[in-house]
Amino acid sequence: MSLEEPPTLPDDEEDKRLMALVALGDDDALRILVDRHHPRLVGYLRSEVGSQTTAEELAMEVFVRLHRAASRWRPEAKLSTYLIHIAHNLVLNEWRRKSRKPTTTLDAAPEPGDASHESARKVGELEESFAKAVAQLAPEQRTAILLLVQQDMPYEEIALAMNAPISSVKTWIHRARTRLRELLKDYYEKA
Amino acid sequence: MEKPSNSNLDRDLAAALSRGVDRPLPGFSRRVVEAVRVDRFRRRVIRWSSVASTLAACFIAAFVLNRPSTEEALIQQTRALLASDESAQVNAILGVAVDLNLLTPVIDKQSVVVDALTPSGF
Repeated sequence: MSLEEPPTLPDDEEDKRLMALVALGDDDALRILVDRHHPRLVGYLRSEVGSQTTAEELAMEVFVRLHRAASRWRPEAKLSTYLIHIAHNLVLNEWRRKSRKPTTTLDAAPEPGDASHESARKVGELEESFAKAVAQLAPEQRTAILLLVQQDMPYEEIALAMNAPISSVKTWIHRARTRLRELLKDYYEKA
Repeated sequence: MEKPSNSNLDRDLAAALSRGVDRPLPGFSRRVVEAVRVDRFRRRVIRWSSVASTLAACFIAAFVLNRPSTEEALIQQTRALLASDESAQVNAILGVAVDLNLLTPVIDKQSVVVDALTPSGF
């Protein structure tokens, strides 16, 4: 196998191929895997912990753990689900370490120039409102709704990533939606 | 696989939370590879330390197991003490210890000369 092969394989198959190379200690394959998956992973972690810096640190730890487990990894689920599963466990550890639930909002600054436009400012406010509302959810509800709407994962994969029954995932998502509607009531009424 | 239905809330949430989610971080993969290399080296050191510790433990165990027990050590010390006892050594060499015991009653008897010179009337 060679990394110079054209990427004609489907994403899952390509992930499997790259993981096999990572298990053999191929750092180039690891670099490609990281490039493929890190944006969404960091985005998920940022939504969970509310800090870009912490999200990047946790994402690095996720990939280090993935590398350690590469030789034992069996492609029973999508690699992205496995990454989210590791990330979710790290988030739980992070919460335990801090002994409190994250209540901070996203610290991503608006793009330069956006502030000069009223619409951009409103979009920024809206995003902040959503982020604040999500941060107020119970941890399981927040994780489940993030994986559903942000990562676009089906219930089965959310259940795998969270190591929970599908029925629990559905309950968490239902409660999260109800709570978010309450928290964002003003916004929807104005709209 | 069952796909969840999309509501307005979901759509708005997805739009709000997905900002920048697909934006790659420059140099992130390089940092990850460096972190992995450091982790690999650290685990190698830990593995070799573990092997060294195990070998050291085996060496100490072998040393302790080859040492004589307390009783044996006491016997050896007594033998050494006896070996360093000079009088016992001389007696053993001359073989006089038993003879002296045999002679003791003879020596304690009165001398014949003394008997002859001593007037019987006395």
